[in-house]
Amino acid sequence: MPKFTRRRLLASTAPLAAAPLGLAAMGRATNAGAGGHDHSAHRSLANHEHALKMGHAAMIGDGAPAVGGPNDLDALLYPPPALPHEPGRVSAHTLVATDEEIEIAPGVFFPAWTYNRTVPGPIVRATEGDLLRVRFINSGSHPHTIHFHGIHPTNMDGVFEPVVPGAEFTYEFPAQPAGFHVYHCHATPLKKHIHKGLYGAFIIDPKEPREPARELVLVMNGFDTDGDGENNFYTVNGRTFYYARYPIKVRKGELVRVYLANLTEFDLINSFHLHSDFFRYQPTGTGDHWEYTDTVMQCQGQRGVLEIRFANQGTFMFHAHQSEFTELGWMGFFQVEP
Amino acid sequence: MEAGSATTSGVAWRLWALVPIVLLALAVAVVVSQGDRVVDLVGGTPPPADEFDIRRVEFRRGEVEIRVRNPQRDDLTIATVTVDDAIVPYTVDGPTTLGRLRSSTIVVPYDWVDDEPISVGVTSSTGIQTTKEIQAAVLTPQPSVRGFLGYGLIGLLVGVLPVALGLLWLPALRRADKRWLASFMALTAGLLTFLGVEALSEALDLQAALPSAFGGAGLVLLGLAASALGMTFLSSRLSRGQVGVTGLALALLVAIGIGVHNFGEGLAIGTSFSVGELQLGAFLVIGFMVHNVTEGLGIAAPASGVRVPVDRLAGLALVAGGPAVLGAWLGGYASSDVVTPLFFAIAAGAALQVVFEVGRYVARTAPGGLRSGWVIGGYLAGIAAMWATGLLVG
Repeated sequence: MPKFTRRRLLASTAPLAAAPLGLAAMGRATNAGAGGHDHSAHRSLANHEHALKMGHAAMIGDGAPAVGGPNDLDALLYPPPALPHEPGRVSAHTLVATDEEIEIAPGVFFPAWTYNRTVPGPIVRATEGDLLRVRFINSGSHPHTIHFHGIHPTNMDGVFEPVVPGAEFTYEFPAQPAGFHVYHCHATPLKKHIHKGLYGAFIIDPKEPREPARELVLVMNGFDTDGDGENNFYTVNGRTFYYARYPIKVRKGELVRVYLANLTEFDLINSFHLHSDFFRYQPTGTGDHWEYTDTVMQCQGQRGVLEIRFANQGTFMFHAHQSEFTELGWMGFFQVEP
Repeated sequence: MEAGSATTSGVAWRLWALVPIVLLALAVAVVVSQGDRVVDLVGGTPPPADEFDIRRVEFRRGEVEIRVRNPQRDDLTIATVTVDDAIVPYTVDGPTTLGRLRSSTIVVPYDWVDDEPISVGVTSSTGIQTTKEIQAAVLTPQPSVRGFLGYGLIGLLVGVLPVALGLLWLPALRRADKRWLASFMALTAGLLTFLGVEALSEALDLQAALPSAFGGAGLVLLGLAASALGMTFLSSRLSRGQVGVTGLALALLVAIGIGVHNFGEGLAIGTSFSVGELQLGAFLVIGFMVHNVTEGLGIAAPASGVRVPVDRLAGLALVAGGPAVLGAWLGGYASSDVVTPLFFAIAAGAALQVVFEVGRYVARTAPGGLRSGWVIGGYLAGIAAMWATGLLVG
C-alpha cells in the first residue's frame, strides 16, 4: 500500500475526460496546462526529413555510432588464405592472453581479457591434416586456457591444464575435422572468462579445397558492461555498428563466404539475417547439408558457413533478427558493387 | 574585574578562538599534500559507481530530452544513450564529461508513442548504464499564455477559492458560544498539525531522492528550523509584547502557515504535471477544494472574536491561498528538485509553529483549558477532517 501523501496520490486519479462533471471551462484550462496542444492533429511524424534523422536510416556511414577507422578490424574480418592439403605440415600459432581496456562503442571502455589484444581473438586457420601447434602465453592476471573445438587428445583440451599468469603451454594436435569451429578459454568461472573476451574463430579447411571466394569471418558477441548478467552491447567482431559505419565491400555475382560463429554470453541464441537476398548455410561447415535461407539461428558455441552470390548491387543490411540485439549494436551493411 | 582587563581579554578570546581553526587548516594541508596515501593504509578504494542522476525527461514531437546530473565526486562521461533498450543517436547540450553535480541535457531525435511507457538509459564511459522508466510518454507543456493562465486558474481553484469559502464560516462562528469556539480553535490546531506532518514527510521523501551531496535530512532540518523560528519572531512582533498572539494577528499567522504549505502544494502539482506524472482531472480539483475549505475555517476561528473588515478577510484568503498559484507557476516551468523539499520543510516548520501559537491561545481562552473535552474533540476532529477529505484527492 503506497503511503498517503497528496502529491503521490495525484498520479492515480481519473483523467478529466472521464469525469462526468460539467466543468467544461475549467477542463479547457486544465488541458491547456497539460500540454497546450491539440491532440487531434499531428500525433505521428509525417516529416520525412525528420524521420531520416532517427533509427537505422541515420545509422549508416558517419551517423553510425562505431569506434575506430575503416581498416581496424581487417585482421578479424578477412581470414588468412587457405593452404593446400599437405599431411604433417606444422601450423604454428602464438596466442597471448592479456588484460586490455578496449573501446567497444564510442566512449565506452570494457575491461576485457583478450587473446592477442582483440575481442574476438585472432582467426586460427589450418588445413585438415596439418599438425596444429599453438603456443599459449598467459600475460593476463588470471589463470586461462584455450579450449579448441575439434577432435584431439583430452590432455590438449584446455580444461585440465590451467595456465597461471606468467606461464605458458603449447597445445599440439592434428587439425580435424574440416569445418568451421571456435576456440575459447575454459578456466572457471567459465561465464566470466568467456564474456570477458577470450574466444575466437577456428577454421579447418577440407582436403578438397572449397571453391575460391571472398571470405569473411563474423563472430557474434555481446558485452555486459555493468555486470548485471545481461549484455549492454551486441556486436560482430567486437565493435557496435562497425560495419554500419564501414560497410563490407563485395562484388555483385562473386561468391562471398561468411564464417559465422556465435560466442554471445548470457543470451541463449543469436542470429544472422540478410536483407534483400538469400544464402546457403552449412551448419558447423561440415557435411553435405545446406539450407537455403535468409536467416540462421545459432546457440552459444554454434557456427556455420554461409555462401552468398548477391544478385543485385547496392546496400544490403545484415543484423541479428533479435531486434533488441540489432538496436544495441549488432547491425551492418554489405556494400555490393558492380 | 576591572574594565581594562575585560577589554584585553575580549580581544584575547577572539585570538584564542582562531587557534583550532588555524591548526585544522594545517592538518588539512598535510592530508591534502599526502594525496591518497592516508586512505591507502586501510586498503584500496572501490571504483566510483558511475551512475547518472536522470533528473527530468521531456517529450517534444519527434524528440526526447534527458536532463542528467553527475551525483558523484568523480567525473562522469556520457558515452551511449539508449531509449527502450536501443542505442540511439543523440546530441548533448552542455558538457559531455560532467564534473561533480554538473548537469547536461541530452537531445535524442526519437519517434516516441503517445501515452505508452518508455525507458531512457544513459551509459557512462565505464559501461555503467542508468535507466529511468517513464510511466507514460506525454508531450511536455511549453510555456504559453494559455498554460500560464491554466496553472493560475488551477492555483486559484485549489488555493484561494476554498480558503475564501471557509472564511464565510465567520458569521456563524461569531454566534457560537465559547466552548464551540474553543473547539473550532482546537480544530485549527489539528488541521495544521496534519499539514505539518504531511509536509515534513513529503520533505523527507523528496530529499531522500536527491544525491547525498545536497545535504539530505540536514537540508530539511534547516528549512524546518528557519521557518519555525522565523514564525516565532514574527509572532512576537505581532503580539507587541503581549503574552500571546490573538484575534486578527493569530488569524494572520494561521494564514501564513497555511499559505506556505499551499505554496509547496502548488509547486508539487505544477512539477508533477509538467513532467507528465500527473493527470489533473476535475475530480482531483474538486478533492483539493473540499480538502482546503477546512483551511478557511481554521483561519476564521481565531478571527471570530474581533471585527474584521472585508478587505482584511480577502487579504487573509490571499495570504493562505494565493501561494498555491505562485507554486503552480514555479513548479510548472522552473521547478528544481532541491527547492521543492526545502519548501515542504519550510511549510512543515511554519505549520507546526502556528500549532504552538494556537495551542497557547486555546490554553488561555478555552473554558477548561487544553484538557477540556471540547478542545480534545476539536483537535482530533481537525486531523480527522483533513484525513477524510484528503482521501478525495487519492
